[in-house]
Amino acid sequence: MSNTIADEIVHHVKERQPLTIWSVLGNEYFLYCVSFISFLLIWHFIAAAGLLGLATPEATIKEMIRLMSVKLAGKNLFGHIWASSRRILIGFAIGAATGLPLGLFMALNRYVNAIVKPVFDLFKPMPPIAWISISILWFGIGEPSKVFIIVIGSFVPCVLNAYAGIRIIDPELYDVIRVLGGNRRQEIFYVSFPAALPALFAGIQISMSVAWTCVLAAELVSSRSGLGWIIIRGMKLTKPELVLGGMAVIAIVAWIFSAATSGIEKLLCPWKRGIKEL
Amino acid sequence: MTPKIVCENISKFFIQKGKQRVHVLEDISLEVMNNEFLVILGPGQSGKSTLLRIIAGLETPTQGRVLKDGKEITGPGQDRGLVFQSYMLFFWRTVMGNVEIGLKLRGVEKKERRKIAQHYINLVGLEGFEKHFPHQLSGGMKQRVGIARAYANNPEIMLLDEPFGQLDAQTRMFMEKETERIWQTEKKTVIFVTNNIDEAIYLGDRIVTLKGKLPGRMDAIYDVPLPRPREHTDLEFVELRQMITDKSELVL
Repeated sequence: MSNTIADEIVHHVKERQPLTIWSVLGNEYFLYCVSFISFLLIWHFIAAAGLLGLATPEATIKEMIRLMSVKLAGKNLFGHIWASSRRILIGFAIGAATGLPLGLFMALNRYVNAIVKPVFDLFKPMPPIAWISISILWFGIGEPSKVFIIVIGSFVPCVLNAYAGIRIIDPELYDVIRVLGGNRRQEIFYVSFPAALPALFAGIQISMSVAWTCVLAAELVSSRSGLGWIIIRGMKLTKPELVLGGMAVIAIVAWIFSAATSGIEKLLCPWKRGIKEL
Repeated sequence: MTPKIVCENISKFFIQKGKQRVHVLEDISLEVMNNEFLVILGPGQSGKSTLLRIIAGLETPTQGRVLKDGKEITGPGQDRGLVFQSYMLFFWRTVMGNVEIGLKLRGVEKKERRKIAQHYINLVGLEGFEKHFPHQLSGGMKQRVGIARAYANNPEIMLLDEPFGQLDAQTRMFMEKETERIWQTEKKTVIFVTNNIDEAIYLGDRIVTLKGKLPGRMDAIYDVPLPRPREHTDLEFVELRQMITDKSELVL
């Protein structure tokens, strides 16, 4: 039987190519390295020439290695990374745990939508950092006020993406369930939720990056720990290697967070794994 | 013999943008016999998909009613399976996951539903593709999944809504052959909607033509007494094709 449909199948055959200078120069990964190394070189020459008040990449890396053992305000580098990460994880967890279900409910039930949407639309365009003063007024300058900003910041993209994720589902997909004899509850569990899953992850990714913006803002305003505080510290001491090092570490940690989320998404959405190769 | 499906004077209006009434179907009456392969042939915008959705129970007729075995149809049900024009596969489920979904909804135990689903996957010729996701399949294979999914739910009546409209000509002819083979293997009452005369004559025991442009009206009913499998180049095939073309407003 299967040979009769052979004409419908597209085969992807990757031919082995001989190793030439052009195949190396044109290789994706080689070009990634070129890109990264030229970035470091340009940075190095600008810094070495004393322009723009930059520290060289070398000095920056040395400073960060030094901070791994030397304590700054009672914490070494990992302590500060954890301080920021902990705020993000708590704030993001609360924001996502409330935002995602709310978005789903709004999309699935028009009464919930009618009640929540006007107020939500009012708060939606407001930058989360605008809440800083209120937050300090309510929660003081301790941890809760920083976490609160992150909750606000990650809540909004979660609601929006969960809502959009359900709304963009082709209504005919529900017809499939209905025609097969399914009920409304089964429509939600077998179509709405799985079809919206990628959108939920999109929301989580955006929330994550908003959370980093929020935690930095909060740490810049009032803090004795965290990566934002390291940057402020470097500024006050006029140590550009500390400022740049803080920025670089943020980039790395934020990238790890994002990559971990992508990893979980791939695990939960197996149908998205193969798409890239097609 | 009593007919399996009876459509009694069906008319349908849609309300568009709040007020505008769109007249889609006008006084459609037809009977479908048990195990008959009925083709509804009509140009685009003749309301043929709407008629099929009414029989499926996804839409309610504004006037008239549809009877199945003498009982009025009030909503969708497991007794009627629908194959969609744009496949409507669950992209988050594998071929197996798609085919077994109807059984899963009815709470059929896993081992049992896998066995039934596998039978229909084999029937449509997708053996070996159980673990593929829809995006990894070609158009023809996707619709095979759609057909297997509807069949696996064991409906009495199969409704196919321009199932091969998105396929290229070769794959389309091939899928028509396959449809006939599958229907011959497990006979069911089939209502097949298409805008393609060749497809209609190749597959149908009877052909109902609808007049073009809304609202869709019944035009004529043709018997197709040709033996199966049919050949597009047979003289009788060509003659029937000519007759339908001459009589109907189909401009294809």
